[in-house]
Amino acid sequence: MRLSHQILTTLTLAGLLALSACAQLKALPNLPATHPEAVANGPVSCAECHEDQQSGTMKPFKAFNHTRVFVQNHRFYAASDDALCASCHKFSFCADCHTNKGAMKPATLNGDRPDRMMPHRGDYLTLHKIEGKLDPASCYRCHGRTNNERCVACHR
Amino acid sequence: MKKVFSRVLPALFLAALPAAAHAGGSFDSTTILRIEQDSRNGYESKRFVPLTQFLGADFDKLGDGNLSLHLHGWLRANLVDGSSRIGNDDDKLDGNLTYGYLQYRFNNANARVRAGRFFVTEGIVNEQVDGVSARTDLPYGFGISTFGGATVHTATPPGQPNDGKGDGIFGGRFSYRKGGLLEAGLSGIYESSAPARGTLPTGVLSGNFGSHRLVGGDFWISPLSMVQLSGRASYNTETSKLAEQSYLMQVTPGKDLLLSATFDQYNDRDYFFSSILFSDMLKKDGQQSRAAGASATYSTAKYGDVSADYKHYSRDAGKGDRFGGDWRGTFQDKSLRTGLGYHYLRTTPDFAILPSASGSFHEIRCYALHDTKGYFASVDLIDYVFKEPVQGKDYAWEALAALGYHLTADLSLSGDLSYGKNPQYDNEVKGLLRLTYNTTNSGKGATK
Repeated sequence: MRLSHQILTTLTLAGLLALSACAQLKALPNLPATHPEAVANGPVSCAECHEDQQSGTMKPFKAFNHTRVFVQNHRFYAASDDALCASCHKFSFCADCHTNKGAMKPATLNGDRPDRMMPHRGDYLTLHKIEGKLDPASCYRCHGRTNNERCVACHR
Repeated sequence: MKKVFSRVLPALFLAALPAAAHAGGSFDSTTILRIEQDSRNGYESKRFVPLTQFLGADFDKLGDGNLSLHLHGWLRANLVDGSSRIGNDDDKLDGNLTYGYLQYRFNNANARVRAGRFFVTEGIVNEQVDGVSARTDLPYGFGISTFGGATVHTATPPGQPNDGKGDGIFGGRFSYRKGGLLEAGLSGIYESSAPARGTLPTGVLSGNFGSHRLVGGDFWISPLSMVQLSGRASYNTETSKLAEQSYLMQVTPGKDLLLSATFDQYNDRDYFFSSILFSDMLKKDGQQSRAAGASATYSTAKYGDVSADYKHYSRDAGKGDRFGGDWRGTFQDKSLRTGLGYHYLRTTPDFAILPSASGSFHEIRCYALHDTKGYFASVDLIDYVFKEPVQGKDYAWEALAALGYHLTADLSLSGDLSYGKNPQYDNEVKGLLRLTYNTTNSGKGATK
């Protein structure tokens, strides 16, 4: 009898907490599902139009300007703000490079877009023998556990 | 299995199409026909004619308007018998479902639930999962995300009985944000025990491979409006050592000037531990990789941006320095985009491809792209000049030209032709035809 009373009290408290949390969640705004204006191709600077702080990520818009440094280090942003990325980019944009099994190297898929910073342009087959020894972690970030066919053809 | 899969994927897309009739959505499709011939002394000449179809679809506003379906994958058919470039792959058909998931997006708190095949990028977590994920913002700046399901298995390397992955996986991230000042996250990943691997090849260290289990943290801090500091670190609970730490600092002392500095450190054994492929490449225990770099970029509205960068690499095996600069220009309302770059990588001899060669090389690249409403055309020249010849050649260059026509606003047809000379080939000629259909999201934003 005493145990069931304790369980009932605990459940009631948990229920009240859950209701309170739900009520507070309703006060938190969503990021827009998609950017309300069409965004042109080419490098984008959020700060061209936005001056204030992005409400969803709570970071200034200028933090997301697509500078060369941003593109090279976009993993820091994708790891915490992918919902903001998704307001402009379809996920297939990411899948051009990030996939467990690729059909061709991204630079070939996007050969007509030399302005995109695609990895492995030119004769990377030769280059990777140097770059891979110099900085293997940079290979691992994408190819780490994917066992890509082109890798295992030689590395076995 | 592949044959079954190659029929399931298009069936999945076709089954989903009726839903699109009642929902806002977007599609992207890229069809690429490549024609390549591989002729090398001492080898049988081979012709490669693969036809590859990439398909993506996003069906928004299903059900009550908050439900959406997202699909992306590719299929490849080798149109000439035995034209697969990869070893013993005799199948004419190959394919992959990159992602395919249902998402329910709640009306508040950036809360969402996903089910299906998807990628998870949360803190130190970067995984492809067949399962379920959920995330939401919480009051007072907190946030939480979690996921769980089956591991997406990949190809089995030759000589191994499996791909080295466990069958189940779960993880998540807990974060805190204070507006405009900081974000900090704790994240972790736990994969079920890695399967037993095959006999170790000669020269491979034992004890360097095991289960994929990491915990870590990430942060973003902006103590002053002109300064941003980002970082992440992961700890391998199987080896009980730090696997990775990476930091990025960005300073904008003026509107047009961006200064940056990076530092990355990896304990190779602990970072590569769950990769059946990379763990085999480890030559000794306790090996570390470090890279520290800096860059300065000056941007002008009229002439584009110019940047200079430097990076120092340090490994037990040797050291290297890379330095150079780039210029990127955008003109005529971004329809004309150009670039010019030069970099020199100077390394100790340890990184040379061959003992007689050098690991040092110059990289020169220039490109131009003109994209109008009617046509688009680009040229891209890239040249690597080796300090010492590699297999008798001290260069590897490639010139690529692309020409395309916008048949409609969403549909375009283009062709690429490239020619090059490098240590692998005396002459390398490649061509492809590309048909692209790409629509914007229903709520606008960008195309791909």
